[in-house]
Amino acid sequence: MTLPRLKPQTRAPKEPQARPLGASFPTPACATCPAAASLAPLGADDGRVADYVVALAGNPNTGKSTLFNRLTGLRQHTGNWPGKTVTRAEGAFEFNGKRYRVVDLPGTYSLLSTSEDEEVARNFILFGRPDAVIITVDATALERNLNLVLQILEITDKAIVAVNMMDEARRKGLDIDTRALARDLGVPAVPIVARTGEGVSRLLQTLEALVKGEIRTHPRRVQGSEVFQQALQTLMAEVEALLPGLPSARWVALRLLDGDPRIIEALRSGELHALAQGQATQTRVQVPSTRINGDMERLLAVPGPQAPGWQTPDAATQARIEALLRKAEELRRGLGPAWQDAVVEALYAEAERIARRVVHRQGQPRRYDWDQVLDRLLTSPVTGLPVLMLMLGVVFWITIQGANVPSELLARALFWLEARGAALFEALGLPWWLTGFLWHGVYRGLAWVVSVMLPPMAIFFPLFTFMEDLGLLPRIAFNLDWLFRKAGAHGKQALTMAMGFGCNAAGVVATRIIDSPRERLIAILTNTFVPCNGRYPTLIMLATVFIAAQFPPAYASFVAALAVIVTILLGIFFTLLVSWGLSRTVLKGLPSAFTLELPPYRRPNFLQILYTSFIERTIFVLRRAMATAAPAGGVIWLLANITVGGQSLAWHIAGFLDPLGRLMGLDGVILLAYIIAIPANEIVVPTMIMVYQNASMMIELDSLQALRDLLVGQAGWTLLTAANLMLFAILHNPCATTILTIYKETGSKKWAAFGALMPLGLGIVVTILVATVVRLLGYG
Amino acid sequence: MTFALWLLMAGVLLLVLWPRHGLWARWKAWRAARQRILIEDALKSILEYTLDHRTDPSPEALAGLLHLPLARAQALVDLLAARGLVERRAGRVHLTDAGRDWAVHILRAHRLWERYLHDHAGWPLDQVHPQAHRLEHRLSPTAAQRLYEALGYPATDPHGDPIPPSQGEIPQPSTTPLTDWPVGQPARIAHLEDEPAMAYQQLLACGLQVGQQVQVLERTPERVVLLREDGEECRLAPGVAANVHVVPAEAHERRMPPDVLPLNQLPDDAEAEVVAIDPAVQGLARRRLLDLGFTPGARVRVYLRAMFGDPRAYLVRGTRIALREEQAARIWVRPLPTAPSPNTLNDEGASPHDATPAQTPNPRP
Repeated sequence: MTLPRLKPQTRAPKEPQARPLGASFPTPACATCPAAASLAPLGADDGRVADYVVALAGNPNTGKSTLFNRLTGLRQHTGNWPGKTVTRAEGAFEFNGKRYRVVDLPGTYSLLSTSEDEEVARNFILFGRPDAVIITVDATALERNLNLVLQILEITDKAIVAVNMMDEARRKGLDIDTRALARDLGVPAVPIVARTGEGVSRLLQTLEALVKGEIRTHPRRVQGSEVFQQALQTLMAEVEALLPGLPSARWVALRLLDGDPRIIEALRSGELHALAQGQATQTRVQVPSTRINGDMERLLAVPGPQAPGWQTPDAATQARIEALLRKAEELRRGLGPAWQDAVVEALYAEAERIARRVVHRQGQPRRYDWDQVLDRLLTSPVTGLPVLMLMLGVVFWITIQGANVPSELLARALFWLEARGAALFEALGLPWWLTGFLWHGVYRGLAWVVSVMLPPMAIFFPLFTFMEDLGLLPRIAFNLDWLFRKAGAHGKQALTMAMGFGCNAAGVVATRIIDSPRERLIAILTNTFVPCNGRYPTLIMLATVFIAAQFPPAYASFVAALAVIVTILLGIFFTLLVSWGLSRTVLKGLPSAFTLELPPYRRPNFLQILYTSFIERTIFVLRRAMATAAPAGGVIWLLANITVGGQSLAWHIAGFLDPLGRLMGLDGVILLAYIIAIPANEIVVPTMIMVYQNASMMIELDSLQALRDLLVGQAGWTLLTAANLMLFAILHNPCATTILTIYKETGSKKWAAFGALMPLGLGIVVTILVATVVRLLGYG
Repeated sequence: MTFALWLLMAGVLLLVLWPRHGLWARWKAWRAARQRILIEDALKSILEYTLDHRTDPSPEALAGLLHLPLARAQALVDLLAARGLVERRAGRVHLTDAGRDWAVHILRAHRLWERYLHDHAGWPLDQVHPQAHRLEHRLSPTAAQRLYEALGYPATDPHGDPIPPSQGEIPQPSTTPLTDWPVGQPARIAHLEDEPAMAYQQLLACGLQVGQQVQVLERTPERVVLLREDGEECRLAPGVAANVHVVPAEAHERRMPPDVLPLNQLPDDAEAEVVAIDPAVQGLARRRLLDLGFTPGARVRVYLRAMFGDPRAYLVRGTRIALREEQAARIWVRPLPTAPSPNTLNDEGASPHDATPAQTPNPRP
């Protein structure tokens, strides 16, 4: 669950000045030191020509990213969360004077399916012609991992198996005979512990020997049934006749037999010919698109032709290619319907055989002991819900309580700077409107958003990342899946929703963990129904000033908390309701699937957590919010300070909106505040106060009593106004940052517009209904 | 005043006559689309009739298939003939090569959409036909080929009808309606006719699906009694049973052994061996289950039940995979005796009383 990477180049560790690079410097320092010392992480790939290209492949959650980080010195997020690699990850390192470019491929269980991750991985191994593929496998689940290893060995001979998590295996009493494994697979196998770096130097030495051709490999190829072998041999012979010198003829034949559209296209376009002549046709790994095709018709949109870097085949070759393809289709039909099952079964059978020879159990198995105790506790019908609520409650409590003081300090500091800045401008004799616009408008909007938004996010995101890395989040998704399934959604939506409590934009990005288009779109469109931490202040203020004030002081704070919780639960209710509606109407035809793996609990790395949550989440969100808050601050100042007929522009607009506002049980000022607060919900209340008081800039009142006097006494708010405002706070258009993020994630203006207008429409309808009913009953 | 009136009239005229986007142009386009749909439906109906009856339909039969009055059907045939899509031969309507190509494309598009809607979008079987019927007219031959590739070259649609390959003849397997099938002989369901919808829903309600093995227990003019492979009986009216087409169950095909049960019925903490993934699961969903390690022979153990009872997590090949009830119901497993094996994950829980025998009434003969 990571946000897009912010310019990896800027975050790359500095070029190691101390370490001489390339041939221009001699490397005397390392003539004697051990091999590990000659590893120099080079961070993000800076585009310089590398001597070797290495691909990192492996099942999800096998420590691939950890190894990647160890080699390159980068900080690719390693959340304990299978199937989340959606970011491009390329880096480089130097070993014994040679530069290696490392490409981290998406983690997959297999390479045979049509899922995008698998396509990306297999295409790079074939078309990228990496000098070596390092396959990380989880020593504690060797059998499952070997399935992928065997598939990769079908494509390339230049592979090393890095048997990772040897420490966990030892703890579980498993003894892995890596020599036997290497013998059985026909490629080197090195035991490592990527987390501590154990065995990495041996891995690098083996890698060096492999890329230099000092190790000869004889990868094991899975045989399968007789009929299948025959078909494969026939086709392979034809492929070799057409493309002499093709390195992976057997694999290409297998893919043609399977009818892989990408390979067929590569054959027709001449890409395979170029590959046979030794040209790597794909130098970069394609980043799997995070965009969703939101329409059934668009799913089939044919991608436009791209200029190939190779020659297109001539007419005679084309005829031979078509003949080959016809042959493949004929053979495929001859194999009958279940042959693909048989291929997978044969692979797993082979994996089982190898694992049985290689893995020895010492002593009593004590696997998953703590895991299971914890899992039982989290998922039992008796303790599950209370534990879940407790966790959520603690996270909220820490976030809200912990943010109070830093927020206060930050606000004081930032507003102090505003006063200084404005004073400076005045001293310089600059016109008042310039000072007002820049300092009391643009800067003040920015300062307000930062001081309200930054502290809670800086607390919430690390907590969330901690639960993620620990492995708790998949359990929550697992627990709540039933609820979301009833609404036609995916259990993982529980998490993107929880992320939305921190920030809806981050929640929308987090939906990438949902791999099924329909469920992901549902999660994106409904994320705004849970209040983000920019909206709590409004909710808490309303609950305290209006609802709690109806009760004796002894219960007041309890009632206020209850009111906020009820609002949040209402938000969750609307999330489920709208999910249900969407999955049965507009989104009915999109593909839908469910997969969820429960990874083992792992000890999180605290530095990594802080890094991920600050850089990748907090700063990311803050930057986007600041970009929209600054102009909004300017607009607010202009609205308050441009007067027409003696009244401010804001006043006129509020008057115009008033009839609709009254109908909704609100008033024009509130609607105006929500319109100008589109960039960030944090400034709704200050803007309202500004307009009510006819002030020239956003302000806050010192005491709740003053606020109450203003809102009730002067603006005429009632309990209905407060209740409807709380409703409207969860049911309105998402902020500009979120709308922008929806657009970026779906790649569709239509869905962005829908995601903005649908909650707004719902909010208007619901508040009008509530107001009407309350008025008919004679209250309000 | 008159000027304003003129302006208004000009505006209205523009609105109506504006090229491509004006009302008139839109109406024409709508008419053309309507006519194309009618033509395509007619071509498809003729082709289906030809495939089913091995003879060309008469205009009367075509009128019946398209629910049109005879006069309109005749006019339609004339239109098709004028476009060179059909010709009249001895009072019957025969597809020309061009007409047949077009018809095959529509048939293919229809069956591909059905496959897509069922396998990928998870639509219930009884709803895929009407939706595919709407979508089939909006798929170009190139797009159809892409869909065919993306779906993994499916051989049949979810009802068991063959999907025409990109080139070559449409394979037409010879099937027998259940009403003509000898009592007592095992058969495999090859095709469930999805029209009329009422009858089709009865078949689905009865739990029948393509690929299933059945046996006719009793056949009278009033009813046909079937035995499904999981041991359930089901009763059908003969008119409905005629919509079930079967082929002989091949000799090497075993019936599902009696001690086999769907994974979702495996008791907590019990261990089992995967026997098969149900043939009703096709395409990507099937691949996914296989890739996750649910291959025949794999050992599975119930690891955890979620708070609300569903989904459950299964330990398979060293990893815990959560499956929803309807997914687990498609995986057939054979419970194993609960002696702790090296693959089991812990020592607690697997007590004898919650073991498998209760769930498997008749152990394997």
